[in-house]
Amino acid sequence: MPGIILKQPLFWFIGIGALLFFADNQLADTRNEIIINDALRSRLSALWTTQTGLTASEAELDALTDNWLREEVMYQEALRLGLDQEDSIVRRRLIQKLGFIAESEPLPAPKEGDVESFYQSNIENYTLPIRYSFQHKYFRTIATAETALTQITSGTPAQNFGEASMLNPSYAYRSALDLNATFGVGFANNIASLPEGSWQGPVQSGFGFHLILINTIHPEQVTPLNLIEEQVFQDFQRSRQLQTRDAYIENLLEEYRVIVETQ
Amino acid sequence: MEKNLALLAFVLLVAACSEAPDSANTNSLPRAEPSISETNTEITNGSRTAGYSNNRNAYFGDLHVHTMYSFDAFIFGTTSSPNDAYEFAKGGVITHPAGFDMQLQVPLDFYGVTDHATYIGVLRAMADPNSDVSSHPMAEGMDRLDASATPEERGAKFREVLEFLRTPEANAVNDPNIRRSAWADIIATANRHNDPGNFTAFIGYEYTATTPDRGNLHRNVIFRGDSAPELPLSRTDTINPEDLWDWMDANREQGFESLAIPHNSNGSNGAMFALTDTSGRPLDDAYSDQRMRNEPLVEITQVKGTSDTHPALSPNDEWADFEIMPLRIATNLYSEPNGSYVRQAFLNGLKLQAEQGFNPFKFGVIGSSDSHNATYAGEEHDYWSKVGLRDSDGVLRGSVPLPEPTADGERYTDTYFDTWSAAGLAGVWAEENTRESIYDAFRRKETFGTSGTRMKVRFFGGYDLPSADDEDMIAKAYAGGVPMGGDLINEEGASPSFIAWIAKDPNGADLERLQIIKGWAEGGEIREEIYDIACSGGDVNPTTHRCPDNGARVDISDCTITDGVGAAELKSGWQDPDYDPEQHALYYVRGLENPTCRWSTWDAIRAGVEPNPDLYPTIQERVWSSPIWITPSQ
Repeated sequence: MPGIILKQPLFWFIGIGALLFFADNQLADTRNEIIINDALRSRLSALWTTQTGLTASEAELDALTDNWLREEVMYQEALRLGLDQEDSIVRRRLIQKLGFIAESEPLPAPKEGDVESFYQSNIENYTLPIRYSFQHKYFRTIATAETALTQITSGTPAQNFGEASMLNPSYAYRSALDLNATFGVGFANNIASLPEGSWQGPVQSGFGFHLILINTIHPEQVTPLNLIEEQVFQDFQRSRQLQTRDAYIENLLEEYRVIVETQ
Repeated sequence: MEKNLALLAFVLLVAACSEAPDSANTNSLPRAEPSISETNTEITNGSRTAGYSNNRNAYFGDLHVHTMYSFDAFIFGTTSSPNDAYEFAKGGVITHPAGFDMQLQVPLDFYGVTDHATYIGVLRAMADPNSDVSSHPMAEGMDRLDASATPEERGAKFREVLEFLRTPEANAVNDPNIRRSAWADIIATANRHNDPGNFTAFIGYEYTATTPDRGNLHRNVIFRGDSAPELPLSRTDTINPEDLWDWMDANREQGFESLAIPHNSNGSNGAMFALTDTSGRPLDDAYSDQRMRNEPLVEITQVKGTSDTHPALSPNDEWADFEIMPLRIATNLYSEPNGSYVRQAFLNGLKLQAEQGFNPFKFGVIGSSDSHNATYAGEEHDYWSKVGLRDSDGVLRGSVPLPEPTADGERYTDTYFDTWSAAGLAGVWAEENTRESIYDAFRRKETFGTSGTRMKVRFFGGYDLPSADDEDMIAKAYAGGVPMGGDLINEEGASPSFIAWIAKDPNGADLERLQIIKGWAEGGEIREEIYDIACSGGDVNPTTHRCPDNGARVDISDCTITDGVGAAELKSGWQDPDYDPEQHALYYVRGLENPTCRWSTWDAIRAGVEPNPDLYPTIQERVWSSPIWITPSQ
């Protein structure tokens, strides 16, 4: 029975209404004035025009103003009762608004050498990784791969071995990322320890087993700034935008006393 | 006073009901560090990149991705930008609005952000107090769209905005300056991420037209180059796709080459491949020319279901009941299968060709995701679905039971998200990973679609093909025949040869079987036949054209699969045993993986519950090639 009462909207309606009435009586009468002037009316009129494409008649404008007043009085009263406090929707919305304001600050033009030093301090982002150029022979089973390796090592030409597959017989300048995409995740690790210049393996892939002849291991290579100037500039701008936002929050934090209470 | 308080009490009630736990949404900031691949500019000789191959390479991508600029994605909680989307495609990590990280096991080769042109960027701008549109009444609802909104509120707001956007009043918020600025950012971001030889970023958008009864006529428009018209044509300009083709034709004259890719024909209620034009007139030569000039491809699969065929249309295809999504898009209305599926359109096109001499449905196929999270969404074991906070966990998408059954005794959320699919990749055969090379492959229809797996398929037809096992088969097949997407004119009644070849996803399950799907027109009827042509266990039965069961099974308690059955590759030469030189016919390849767990089963295992008994527990991932068409000699 109490459960049924608790599910009744009317119960909550009356209960919360009573609470609000009580709260209202406890509060000092500090209501703001609500001012209706020509500026407000022309703002409402302009909004109406944006929404409908039409000019509001006097009667329409009166109705709009009346509607605005009814909303405004509720809004003011809600603020006065503190209904905006501890409301996660209001909180989230205000944070979002401040975020837009913080981000709308235009970035100052970069100074001479700024982009260059950004490039230098983030050089790992502009460096090509280790890459491999290699040939391979594919086998469905490890046993046939091992047999083939023994024979190749003892002098039989490698061209006599390997099974047909959709893979290319050789690959040039492939990074670990490329290798894992083509042969299966983990394959790049499996060939990372192989020496150059001789047939090695078998190395397992998502398809089966491979004998590998690495022709060249290409070391890391820094891309010169003049080839990627525009891209580095864009990265620099993005990083400054983030810094601006972080700095804004840092500055705000300095204005506030933050107390961490421990139990 | 009492009246005011009564109103306030009501407001408070509504607010209390919509209260939800605050959850962190940390992905709103752009990522500072570019991924390695972004800087991976190869220094090569001439205009060719290092990976260039005359035999063409397979590249995988997603051409259907929404970001924060799409009105619906913004409502779903997505704050990821086009920049985040491309970072993700290249292997970076971005955060789902629900707070978890999303990353690809293997990066993609190409990607196209395709935000809805209609109100592009407008809903996001509504949340910006500096914008004019933020004062529009519709913007009032936008404050519910932060991380605190419930999935039901998001769904309600989505429907509300969708209805509003269909009204003339919506023009008031459709500020061209906002749209221009969003579109300019999309173009600049694609250009910044485009990295010839390593990663291709296409400029694109979605044209989101519907029929009056909510049949889906959506298309993605993909541009070849690094520039595009000042604003994309949207459904507020016209809901007639034929106007879109006019616009594309006019752009082509101005130097903006583009193509349109229809998607979710399954939800078109028969409209996507109707045998009349928009005004109800029978199709003709001019319609066919214009459609084919602008729409050489169709999306055959994506998260909102697969559009290859429907069991009602292909009753003799045992694999037709695959990831069927039975509804019109964004509704609970049934979508009529007739006129809504790609295979039937292929066949109707042949019939039109045979009877009237034109074929408006001569598409190549691709898959894509249609993610509204800025991220591809095709991994069964790592699935986040596609509409942000509305379907971000198993309970919301119907794969995991509700904490308590509903009053009606329903154990699962009543949602159409459970008909959705972890799907959709586009595959192409192109010389190199550049915009030009990949786009030209789209134009040739040398494309394939997969249900999310990275299976590859080769397919050639011709009168002078080498043996399937020839060492130099690919080069000889290109020289002596046509690849997928091509046409063969019948030579003096000779039966053409085919070579079909599939390779497994190196990170996926082994292959089960290789099939050729034949379609033809005969005596005014459209017909189809499925031929298994290579099996992973045993031989094809020549009477039934079927492989024996290879014995592959899935243990749905932990998703382990039978070890040691299935093939890494399947390849076969083939000639049609029922070939008739008088027929207009087409052939396309379907390759099937061994069964694996479907996303809904993975969800259930992670939640420690039984899989939803109303959903298929397993899936046979697959690849579809574009067809090869045979025309009888005149």
